[in-house]
Amino acid sequence: MIRTLLNKQIHFSQLLFFALTSSLGLGILLVAFQLFIDTQSLFSTSNDLLGNQNLIIYKDLGRNNAFTPEEISTITQQDFVKKVGGFTHGTYRVVASVSIANYSGISTEMFLEAIPDNFIDIESPEWKWKPGAKEVPIIIPKNYINLYNFGYAASTGMKQIDENLIREIPIELTLIGSSKREEYNAYILAASEKINSILVPESFLKYTNQTLSPEKVNKVSRIILDVTNPSDPNVLDFLNSNNYKYLKNDVQTSRISYFLQLILMIVLGIGILITVLSITLVITNINLLILKNKQTICQLHFLGFSRAQIAKVYHQISYKILGISILIAFLLAVVCKFTFAPYLAILQSESSSFSLVYVFAFAIILFVVLAIYYTKHTNRKIQQMTAINTSLLTSEI
Amino acid sequence: MNINITSIIPTYFTPASSEVWSKDFELIADGKYLMKAASGSGKSSFFNFLYGLNNKYAGTILFDATDISSYTEIDWTALRREKVSIVFQGLRLFPELTALENIQLKNQLTNYKTETEILAYMKQLNVVELAHKKAETLSYGQQQRVAIVRALCQPFELLLLDEPFSHIDDAQIVNATQLITEEVAKRKATLIIASLGNSYDIDYTKTFLL
Repeated sequence: MIRTLLNKQIHFSQLLFFALTSSLGLGILLVAFQLFIDTQSLFSTSNDLLGNQNLIIYKDLGRNNAFTPEEISTITQQDFVKKVGGFTHGTYRVVASVSIANYSGISTEMFLEAIPDNFIDIESPEWKWKPGAKEVPIIIPKNYINLYNFGYAASTGMKQIDENLIREIPIELTLIGSSKREEYNAYILAASEKINSILVPESFLKYTNQTLSPEKVNKVSRIILDVTNPSDPNVLDFLNSNNYKYLKNDVQTSRISYFLQLILMIVLGIGILITVLSITLVITNINLLILKNKQTICQLHFLGFSRAQIAKVYHQISYKILGISILIAFLLAVVCKFTFAPYLAILQSESSSFSLVYVFAFAIILFVVLAIYYTKHTNRKIQQMTAINTSLLTSEI
Repeated sequence: MNINITSIIPTYFTPASSEVWSKDFELIADGKYLMKAASGSGKSSFFNFLYGLNNKYAGTILFDATDISSYTEIDWTALRREKVSIVFQGLRLFPELTALENIQLKNQLTNYKTETEILAYMKQLNVVELAHKKAETLSYGQQQRVAIVRALCQPFELLLLDEPFSHIDDAQIVNATQLITEEVAKRKATLIIASLGNSYDIDYTKTFLL
């Protein structure tokens, strides 16, 4: 009977408004969470638009263009620099030969370089080398494959190759140092769009430099930097004042990426604002529902109904509405997932339906957290309203 | 219920000197007391102190030797269900409920009376035919009688009636006082009636001038 009495003052339109505002806020939260999970691979890889940007710097040719340890430490100390890595090059001659069935062997002189592993944009468990191993993975620039496929192969009538096929090509490396000569088998692990060099694992280069040409000193002639935004004027000023060179293209891309990040931040900010506003609206709504019944609530309490009994009516209303809102929000997140999937696929983001399990778990956590918050809020309001000396009944003298 | 009062006085206004404010006295179980007062002398305040709605007073009130200022909100809720019943001056019926629903709302807390018993009470006070009418459609005198029945539909050791008969005709007052005194005697409860002047022919243990 107490429920009927309290519900009499509550209109359907009010509950609908309650549910709508609640669904809106929760919907934004769940969709954002679901997107966040699905784009995790975008955020975590190093060859992405959203992560930190790399900048490769070098000195003018024609002079002693190695970086001294002092210069490297100055660069490391700059605020905008997050990580610094030097390019290490081999201090020996390299002859690579490829033998393909039905073709005469191709042989060429080449070079090897290495950078710290955390700058490599290829994630593979095979990217490693230990002394004693006879096989070395190599990363080549993607440009090389394109040059071959659309230039060389097209004009000579040879077979075009893709990245999977290229792995199968056996390469023999002959390393000729000043004191020793060694042979290794190599294979092309991947092609990088980020670093224009022929890379081997750093451990391999250090080992071979030491064993083949122990007397030669390794110089760092190029440096790779991890910076938040390469188009930042501070970065460019610093590079210009030290006469360091960089690829203009890197900076151009970074402008776009910076712009993207900025827009993402703004969208996220607006999303959070809407969510906070919607939760505030829901709280205001609960307050309104309680306030409308102020007199009834006070009278019930003074007749002998406990606060808990009265609050229960409101708890049930808010649980129901919250449950419905969470359900709507979850459905919204599911719909968004399948709508966005093709676009995310373009961004080469790996997403699976499994992310919905996380979203569902998140939805349940949200339900529990908000239910507890609403319950506490309702209890506090009813306590305030029925506190001794504040009742409208005490106005009778 | 034995009530011991030691020099209580409201702290939010200064009432005129009376036989209640700043005096020490005892109200005993099975006793019937009349608080006679002019409007504005603090009757409702006194009732609100005893009902736990207001604690802005100096002095002490003991219910069976327990200081009521030590009661928590939960204690008061239990007290209002089991030991203290009241008819507010403003009645405080729910206008959107019927007369019977208003009474049942209170009764269901303890299931103290059956519906037949409730209807018998209503018949005695001549409001049984109004049982299914909404409270807002009843006259104030009819509402007062419904509120009196409601107050009887719970166990109590103290019954507080704040000007309960102000809009009831003399014949009905006789019925009402008869029912109330019977019930109070049956339950050996303390009865306190506040009135502006009329004493309603009840055999009071003591009359206080407030």
